Amino acid sequence: MRLRILLFILLACIAVEQAGFGSAFSIRELGVRAQGMGGAFTAVADDASALFFNPAGIAFQNGLQLEMDSLVVVGLFRFFPSITPPGTIVPEKGYHGSVSPKFIPVGNLYLTKTVNDRITFGLGAFAPFGLAANFTNFNDGDPARGKYPGRFAGTRARLEVFWLQPTIAFKLSPNSSVAVGPAFIHTHLFYEQSILSPYDDGKTFGREVAGQLFPGQNPAEAARSIARLLPEGRFRLAGTANSPGINIGYLYRHPGTRTSIGFSYRSGTAHHLKGKASFAFTDDSAIAPFLPESQTIEDLFPTQDASGLFQTPATYNIGVANTSLPGTTLALDVTFQDYHRFRELPINFTQTSETATPPERKIQFDFRNSVVVSGGLEKRMGEDMAVRAGFVFDHSPVPDKSTGPLFPDNSRFSFTVGASKRRGNTEFSVFYQAMKFFDRTTNVAENNNQFTNGLYDSFAHLAGVGLRLYIGN
Amino acid sequence: MQTVHRRPKPRVPSRKLQLARVSALLVLFLLPAPLARAQVSFFDPTNFVVMGEGLAAGMADFGLRSVYQEKSFPAQMAQQMDVAFPQPLIQGAGIGSAPGFPSLPVRLPGPDQGAVRKDFPPQLFVFNLSVPGFRVHDALTRRPSPPLVQKQDELQSVTNLILGYPSLILKDKPIWTQAEYAKAMRPSLVLVELGYYDVLEAAATGDPSRMTSVENFRASYSDVLKAVRETDAALIVLTIPDPLDTAYFTPRDSAFQNVRASGEDLQALYNLQPGDLLTPNGLTAIALQIDANEFGPLPAGSVIGADVAAQVRSRVDALNQVIQSLAQEHGALVYDLHGLFARVRDSGLVVSDTITLTRDYLGGFYSLNGYYPGATGHGLIANEVLSLLNGTFGTSFPLIDLAQVAQDDPAVRFIPLKKPSSGELQ
Repeated sequence: MRLRILLFILLACIAVEQAGFGSAFSIRELGVRAQGMGGAFTAVADDASALFFNPAGIAFQNGLQLEMDSLVVVGLFRFFPSITPPGTIVPEKGYHGSVSPKFIPVGNLYLTKTVNDRITFGLGAFAPFGLAANFTNFNDGDPARGKYPGRFAGTRARLEVFWLQPTIAFKLSPNSSVAVGPAFIHTHLFYEQSILSPYDDGKTFGREVAGQLFPGQNPAEAARSIARLLPEGRFRLAGTANSPGINIGYLYRHPGTRTSIGFSYRSGTAHHLKGKASFAFTDDSAIAPFLPESQTIEDLFPTQDASGLFQTPATYNIGVANTSLPGTTLALDVTFQDYHRFRELPINFTQTSETATPPERKIQFDFRNSVVVSGGLEKRMGEDMAVRAGFVFDHSPVPDKSTGPLFPDNSRFSFTVGASKRRGNTEFSVFYQAMKFFDRTTNVAENNNQFTNGLYDSFAHLAGVGLRLYIGN
Repeated sequence: MQTVHRRPKPRVPSRKLQLARVSALLVLFLLPAPLARAQVSFFDPTNFVVMGEGLAAGMADFGLRSVYQEKSFPAQMAQQMDVAFPQPLIQGAGIGSAPGFPSLPVRLPGPDQGAVRKDFPPQLFVFNLSVPGFRVHDALTRRPSPPLVQKQDELQSVTNLILGYPSLILKDKPIWTQAEYAKAMRPSLVLVELGYYDVLEAAATGDPSRMTSVENFRASYSDVLKAVRETDAALIVLTIPDPLDTAYFTPRDSAFQNVRASGEDLQALYNLQPGDLLTPNGLTAIALQIDANEFGPLPAGSVIGADVAAQVRSRVDALNQVIQSLAQEHGALVYDLHGLFARVRDSGLVVSDTITLTRDYLGGFYSLNGYYPGATGHGLIANEVLSLLNGTFGTSFPLIDLAQVAQDDPAVRFIPLKKPSSGELQ
């Protein structure tokens, strides 16, 4: 009965929102013990979170193990624009981006069960990708001078990519194992940005109507003026997708040198989103009252079905660990993610006849591949206690041109500490991670009209608590 | 004896010190780096909106009409800045009337007019919101009202045709005052040329009671600037020219070139005192009497007495102080139009080797009404304001070739080919 209640609580935890604090929208902090060692766990993989880090590791675990980890993140993102529209009042300490809600418990759940001497079954539910960017510091009706100037490049994004991964691990020999985990992936994406910028897309709209509104004026000049007269709008897209994925791993433990080598691969995924696109506009436009009754702003931008394609990268982990020193585990991991797959987010609209919505809108990202190097150590203090420390260097896949409200990102260093205490068949673990992003100053000509160039200064605190149950042998 | 040099014992930091160093490093790591705070806000003249009266509207001669509107100084500025500048262009003989001259009944459409507005179909909005005859107070309170043409109210008819077209002929459309209209246009640059008519009418009619009081002017002008400030636009205000510096007012002792009579002669004939000013009506009447050699009393409105002139000058100075003070309060740039008119009064304007404009009546700078400039005068104002913008915002708007403007300027064509260099009363 107690187990059922516990399971229910853990399943409830898995449904909470996710935030990305690895490269771009990756989430690497999916095991509290692992994260105490900087996430260098591919060759360690000695608890149920191996289902995420290296599923082959579960082959060496006995009995039934249940693990749940929660993560709390406080992200502090600051942006100082280098150029702003006239009249903009930049807050003294810059614009603050945040993860919203501010404290996000990220839950994950792992279950492993030994089937026989060679085969172990596992079930993992975790979110390896997520995002909760929020640079909305304004209400639509506020004066433009106080609004975050980069809002036309995005204001909010929320991404939740849940993997439900049953896994089977097989011992090839007493010292090596492989595992395969086909996954059902459920994705939810919410995206929001302001539209009809006087300095950008508003001019495109203005060119269409320049001849009607300002006959005799130079069309290009008139378009610029009309762009300022348009209402400001917000575009929102919410969609979901279900996709297949796979996670495979290999682990070899060399008893002589007490060295382990691990490798794991998690597939990249194309998420075919289906959902709704909606629009909302301010009501202070000079033009709106003069539009024909049959073609109001709402008629031109109707709420409609929309689809999109969102790519998440494949992940390759390779790690080495050594336990030669008494009571000590040293580990080093290198992670590669082919983020170059995330080039754009195409959004296809369905109501394009007699409306102003285009058939397709592409949001360009052009990410590059990323590499994460992490290392850590665990020192066991007697039978029941262990302390850990680690570091992480995370090379951001986000190029300057895509650095903005959705990805106020840069390469970063992290230091981690952690500890575990076992009592009976229960182990509690904690970790803390201080993540300092390198300051980033962008100066991309094509972003000038979006006002996302400037200084990005970010920091994040992460803390986690984990519970591991050993049931049976 | 061998000296033994004892190697100094390496200084091993105490555990406490080591801990302190690690802690300091950790604190440095955790502290956010100092932030650069320099932002650049660029100057954007895209929606250049003008609030003014007849001067900024392009009023010239005896009405507001397209031939001068297209050469108004805001229109010439817009052309140099490469921005759209829709104007309420008026056909044919124009609309409105010039103070100090006989006003005609409101007849619209008038001669050579069809829809009255030349831009037909009309611009949905205009950016030159200047209305001839507007005082500062009107910019805040006078809004278009139907019917479009009001025979008993010329100012309302002019307001309707500028601010209320096409709204008045459509159904349920916004009807804005000049200030509301300016805000609705989401301007990025606003130029305020208000206040001239607040003193001009009084000066031209010799009736100081028609001048706007300093208190009322301050209250209204402040509200205008507040309204504009809400738009985040760059704001430039123009000081009020002294009407007495214009060609409408000819000092008694300077009337010789127009009437070929010296100041002493005019004093003898009409009891004109030093400091008295002659209006175009006065100059015309005197010239006709001298030509006919039949002298009699001058018609009303021919002479502005020195006492009235002093009151006007004093009020202009007071209103300009208000403008300067409110501009500073609201962070507006100030262009000294008052100073420019004074310079033209003193030195004229050398346009080219062959063209020099003066402030004299028919001197080329002013149009036939005497107090509103011609196209070249507007070009000069435009250049001055553009230079101020260039100097302030680091822009590089090209200046206007005044000689080219002068070639097509009717006001320049009014300059008599040969002025008498000497002569005397016959």
